[in-house]
Amino acid sequence: MIVEVERVSKEFARGEQRVLAVDDVSLTVAEGEFVTIVGPSGCGKSTLLHLLGGFLEASSGTMRVDGNVVTRPGPDRGMMFQDLALFPWRTVSGNVGWALEVQGRPAAERVQVTDRYLQLVGLRSFKNAFPHELSGGMKQRVALARVLAFDPAVLLMDEPFGSLDAQTRELMQEELQRIWATTRKTVLFVTHDIDEAVYLGDRVIVFTARPGRIKADLAIDLPRPRPIELKKSPAFFEHRNRVWDLLREEVLRARDEESA
Amino acid sequence: MRRAAEGLAIPVAVLAVWEALSATGVLPRYVSRPSAVGAELSQLVGSGDVVQHAAVSLYRSMAGLAIGALSGVVLGLLSGSIRAFAVFFDPLVSFTNPVPKIAILPVLIVWFGITDTSKIVLIAITTFYPCFIAAYAGVRQVQPAWIWAARNMGARADQVFRKVIVPAASPHILGGLRIALALAFILMFASEAIGTAHRAGLGYLVIFAESGGRHDLMLAAITAIGLLGFAADRLLLLVARRVLRWQPEVFRA
Repeated sequence: MIVEVERVSKEFARGEQRVLAVDDVSLTVAEGEFVTIVGPSGCGKSTLLHLLGGFLEASSGTMRVDGNVVTRPGPDRGMMFQDLALFPWRTVSGNVGWALEVQGRPAAERVQVTDRYLQLVGLRSFKNAFPHELSGGMKQRVALARVLAFDPAVLLMDEPFGSLDAQTRELMQEELQRIWATTRKTVLFVTHDIDEAVYLGDRVIVFTARPGRIKADLAIDLPRPRPIELKKSPAFFEHRNRVWDLLREEVLRARDEESA
Repeated sequence: MRRAAEGLAIPVAVLAVWEALSATGVLPRYVSRPSAVGAELSQLVGSGDVVQHAAVSLYRSMAGLAIGALSGVVLGLLSGSIRAFAVFFDPLVSFTNPVPKIAILPVLIVWFGITDTSKIVLIAITTFYPCFIAAYAGVRQVQPAWIWAARNMGARADQVFRKVIVPAASPHILGGLRIALALAFILMFASEAIGTAHRAGLGYLVIFAESGGRHDLMLAAITAIGLLGFAADRLLLLVARRVLRWQPEVFRA
C-alpha cells in the first residue's frame, strides 16, 4: 500500500473551542489507484489532504506514504492546491520547472522535463506566457504539469477544478483521466462534485459531516478509459445515485446542526 | 508621443500666458519671465555650472537613498519573515516614523559637521522608512499557499525566501522605492538649503540666488531639481515595469 492512514484525527483550536475536523480516519490506497473523496463542505476532507501533504500535524494517528512516515512537506507527495498557487512572477515554464530548479537539477534536464510535461498538458506554445495571461483551464493544466514534473509518488488534489465553469470542468476531467492513464500516478482527489468523484475514481470515499469520518468506501467498477458520454449511462447513474443518497443524509445533518 | 503631447499641452499654455503677462507688464518685475529662466538655465547648462551642482546633489541624494533603501528593504523583508526581527523593528518603526526627519539634521550637523555625510545620513534615515514599511507589508501579503507549494516542491527555507517571498513582495517594494526616491530629492534640497560646506549643490544654488535677488537663477535651479527628479522617477518606472512585467496592471504611467 503506497498510502497508509492509520486512525488519524485532527483537532483545531478556534478561540476557546476545540473543533474536531478529522475523526479517527483510516484508509489505504494501492499504487496506481485513483481515489476520490466527497463530503459536505467543511467536513475535513481538505484537512486530510493537508495532513498527508505534511502542512498540518495530526493530533493523533500516523500516516505513511511509500513506507515513510509523514512529518513535513516533501516532493514525494505532489499537492495541487484549490487555488492552484501558481507563482505569478514566473512564466509557465518557470512554474513547471521550479521544483527541479530548487532541487538543484541540471538546466538541460529541467528544460527537457518541463517540455515533456507542457507537451502532455498541451501548453508547449504557452511556455513563455505569465499565469495572468492564461484562462482558468490553462492555469489548471500548468498546475498539473508543475506537480507532475517533480514526479511525486502520490498526487494530492484538493478540489482543483472547483473554480471552473461546468464545460471547462468536464474537459479537465477528461484531460486528467487521459494524463493519469499515461502516468499511472496514485491519486487522492478531493471534490464536492459527485459526478466528478464517480467519473474519475476507482474508489469513492464518502465523508460524514463534521467531524469528518469515512462513511462509505465504494468501488467504481466502470471500465476505463471512460468517455465523457459514460456520464449518461445507467451504470454511471447507479453509482452516482448511491453516492448521492449517502451524501444527502450528511448534508442534511450538517444543516440541522448548523441551525440547532 | 501623443500622450507626451497631451501631457505637455497645459504646462506649455500656462508658460505662454505667464510669458505674455510678463511681457505686457501685468505681472510685477520680480516674477521672472519663463524666457529669462530658460535663458539662465541654458547658460547654467552651457557653462557646466549646473552639471557640477547637480552632480554633487545627485551624489548626496543617491548615496543616502542607496543606504536607506537597501537597509529598509532588507530589514523589512527579515521582519516580515522572522518573528524576532518583527518584535524589535515593528514598534520601533511605528514610534519613530512620525518624527519629521529634517528635525534631526541639527543633531547630525553636531555629529558630522556641515558635510556630505550629515546630508547622506539624513537622507538614508528618511528613505529607510517607506522602504521598510513597504517590504514588511509586502511579505505579510504573500499568499500562504505559495509558501506551501514551494515547500511541497522541496524548497529549503532560504529558497522560499529568495524565490517566493522576495519576488512576491517586489511590487510593494518598488512602490516604497518610488516614495523613497521623491523623499531623497526633498531632503536633498532641504539639507542643502540649511547649509553646505563647499558651496555646491542645487539646493545651495537656489538659496544663493535667492539671497542675491537673482530670481531667474533661482527658478532655473528649481527647474533643474524638478527635471532631475522627473528623470529619476521615470527611470525607476522603467525598471519597475521590466521587473514587474508579470503583473499587468501596475506601474503603467
